[in-house]
Amino acid sequence: MSRQASSMCPAFGAIRNLLRMEDAMPIVISSGDGCMYGHTFVAHFYVANRPIFSPGVSSQMWAKGSVFDELKAMAIEMAEKHQPSIIPICSLCVSDTVGLPFELLPKQVGNTEIVYVPLPAYSVHTHARAKDIVVDSLVWRLPSQRKARSGVNLLGEVFPSDPIKIDEVLRRIGTHVNTTVPGPRWADYVAMVDGAVNAPLHPFYSESVKRMKMKQGLPFLEGAPVGIDGTYAWIKGIGETLKLNAAVVEAVACEERDKVKAAMADYPLKGLTFMVAGYEGHEFLLVRLLIEAGASVPYLSTAVNTNPLAREEEAWLRERGCTVLYGANFDDEIGALQDHAYDCVIGTTPLCSHAKELGIPSIYYTNAMATRSLMFAEGASDILSLMISTYRSKERYHKIASFFSETGTPVQSHSSWTPKIDLTEHLIANDAFAPAAGE
Amino acid sequence: MGLQQELPSDVVNTPIRERVTDLDHAGGDTGAMQVFASLRDGNVVLDGPVGCHVMPAVAVINYTDSVPYLQNVTCSELSENEVTIAGTLGVLKEKVARADVPGRQVFIVSTPMSELIGAAWTTTDEDVKGSPLFFNAKSLDDDEWVARDRALLFLWQHRDHFVAPPDAAPAARPAGPSVNIIGPTYGCFNSYSDLAELKRLLAGIGAPINAIYPWEAHSYDTARLSDATATIVMYKEFGKSLAREVGLPTFDAPFGLEDTTAFLRGIAKALGLEAQAEAFIAREKKTTLAAWQDIWRSTHSDFFANSPIAIVAPPSYKDGLERYLGGELGLPISYSAYRTGPESAPSEAVRDALANASPSPMMIFGSINERMIVAQEKLPSRFYQASFPGAVVRRATGTPFMGYAGAVWLLQTVCEVLFDTLFANLPTSYAPPHRATVATADILRDAPAVTTDSGKGQNSVLTWTDEAKALAEKTVKRVPFFVRVSVTKKLRAEAEKLARERGTDVDRSVVEEITARYAPGR
Repeated sequence: MSRQASSMCPAFGAIRNLLRMEDAMPIVISSGDGCMYGHTFVAHFYVANRPIFSPGVSSQMWAKGSVFDELKAMAIEMAEKHQPSIIPICSLCVSDTVGLPFELLPKQVGNTEIVYVPLPAYSVHTHARAKDIVVDSLVWRLPSQRKARSGVNLLGEVFPSDPIKIDEVLRRIGTHVNTTVPGPRWADYVAMVDGAVNAPLHPFYSESVKRMKMKQGLPFLEGAPVGIDGTYAWIKGIGETLKLNAAVVEAVACEERDKVKAAMADYPLKGLTFMVAGYEGHEFLLVRLLIEAGASVPYLSTAVNTNPLAREEEAWLRERGCTVLYGANFDDEIGALQDHAYDCVIGTTPLCSHAKELGIPSIYYTNAMATRSLMFAEGASDILSLMISTYRSKERYHKIASFFSETGTPVQSHSSWTPKIDLTEHLIANDAFAPAAGE
Repeated sequence: MGLQQELPSDVVNTPIRERVTDLDHAGGDTGAMQVFASLRDGNVVLDGPVGCHVMPAVAVINYTDSVPYLQNVTCSELSENEVTIAGTLGVLKEKVARADVPGRQVFIVSTPMSELIGAAWTTTDEDVKGSPLFFNAKSLDDDEWVARDRALLFLWQHRDHFVAPPDAAPAARPAGPSVNIIGPTYGCFNSYSDLAELKRLLAGIGAPINAIYPWEAHSYDTARLSDATATIVMYKEFGKSLAREVGLPTFDAPFGLEDTTAFLRGIAKALGLEAQAEAFIAREKKTTLAAWQDIWRSTHSDFFANSPIAIVAPPSYKDGLERYLGGELGLPISYSAYRTGPESAPSEAVRDALANASPSPMMIFGSINERMIVAQEKLPSRFYQASFPGAVVRRATGTPFMGYAGAVWLLQTVCEVLFDTLFANLPTSYAPPHRATVATADILRDAPAVTTDSGKGQNSVLTWTDEAKALAEKTVKRVPFFVRVSVTKKLRAEAEKLARERGTDVDRSVVEEITARYAPGR
């Protein structure tokens, strides 16, 4: 039985965000050519048209210790030649296990910060955790005290216009967006120490916000302005944390909540059953929208592990009949497909490929969702209209599935062998029905 | 069995350099996985962390082979506990037990992590036929091609270990002489089309196929490889060591007309099918190759001698394209390099060569790495994918590079790229016609007005400074020959327009501005 979340190499969650920083030049100490090939393949496909650097690695180079010497020379040379704001040193499985003396790397070369980012995938487990590690590693470099603090630090990969919308709403209650991370510039991270509160919009970044609370004294607020209840609660939460004018906050929170409610009424999902499986943390928010629009969502399957920041979100979902399956993997998800008659599936590649085989309209989570906003009324309309149009294409899915099943069971790919698993057994084994474990 | 000495591989590793970027090959674990998973009854358990499974067998395979994920590959999912304390055997046993089902042969493949902590599969039943086998992929050191070659040798060495399930349909054994095709596996660029073409050629000369290995074979078919009369080794990168052990006459897969004709005659001779081969070749000239002859006789081919190309690929494709496109079609090869094996060019060398080639190649065949060079260095070249890495869909079987059909497809492709380049360089772009803002009488009145440094009038031929001329010449030389007329015309028109607006001669700064806009170079 699979015991771990199915995720593309977890370290990639971090590498992806670092490659998207315009003034960073990440060095990735690969675990070998297979590791490097995989990371560069996917990075060049959908992250960035830019090279990824690694010192050469081989059993001899590890044994001689020459990997570290080369790494250090490379980092210094790159800093001197290109003068990026930051060179993150991503240490993957092998280098982190071998234990290179990262403390011997210079902290700065000129204006360039050189920051060690520990990413042994075997203990990072999820993309979400890797993203948390990046924010944590980068922000840990910053000073601890700032006198004048104001505004909200947003944490999470949001749709590009989301921070603008959030800022517009925050200004009406007397505050503003201070910065958004992961951001494209080192300055976006540096700015975090000027904020008055951290708002992790996706339910991870728990280590980063905890440590920033400890070192920088910044409080944090869970949740995101998504859906009817979520929008109201988040605006109120910001107001309370920053001790803003309660009457104004209440008025704006109600106004935004009503707008979401009105937008949702246009896209009723009543009577439809959805299966959602994601690995970004983002999926909690999507399910919230689906449920409020009237859909039934029996499971939320997520690669994210149990996390204090997800507790309230999980409680909200559970009250509405949705079981959260943490650290879920392909086997669980494919198994869960048998348990209900789903009208639509939003999930990982293997799950969607199975659902399509069965004729269920499906879309791949990352491609379809990461390109859309979820927040406030516009986000709700946008996502729900996508859901409706996907569901409406059901006829096409059925036709194709029946064409291919005429010869018997659906034809699977070249060599087919799918492990058999019992989801119920797995859910019980993972205490999925028990209250969330303590922090 | 476990003590048997490993058969030597003839494939040599790509050197591991002090610094690595824009890698063009995967590592040993990926290569071995792709061979074992290609067997119809192969179940692969990778001994490594979850990423070593999901990256190659889900994320990458979906963009090389358009397979959503490999359903016959799992992983031991190493975590801190296994890496630091327990070792991998416990979790591995659990996964192997689940994969070890009737009718499937389990292969356990090491990964850098399990190799680092010295993990190996040790059980007491390794001599039991059909039991799980452990393959040390040497992924800390070996590239995917060495690993593929070694994995095929490993299968041969263990050929007596594999057992057909009692309910297996007996293999269709050809009665007379027959051939093997060794090499088709996951993650080989364009292999679906190339294999289809090889099968078509063999069917054409009436040569029966004994085995397509490992792609259309079960593990228990391995021993049957020696039943054939000849072996086709599809790729130079791997498979030759297995062919050596099988010990039959071997043939490389052919590119272009000459190669393919020689290939067909060679196979035919080995199998005693000479007459059928000659009849097929004659028939092909009137059918498949009629298209080739028509294109060749057209004006299309007149451009070839002045349309340089570059090829950066692993040996089979690099050599094959060079022989066909350079040797037979006469396209000048301005640069070519291997990106794998002992003679592989470092990525910086490829970048320098492509960025500084003059003229720039019209077409660059390569992987995403070369595609990035074209974009980053703002080259005027068209990129065409001929290698991995790089996301591509090549599942329709009508895009072969090999064989007669491949010769036609490549010829067609080159012409299409020529036309595309031509369109991109047409001298006049669509725009609404200029409005007549002045009457003819006004033009006549204003014409003598002196506006430029050299004292010429509004409509006179403008003077180009020497510097400007030199720069323009240099720029034009960088573009493919057959669009130079268009580019020169465009450059002149734009430069003079700008100079008139500024009221100057055409000087260096004017040309610089225009070349930066239209013919970006370095």
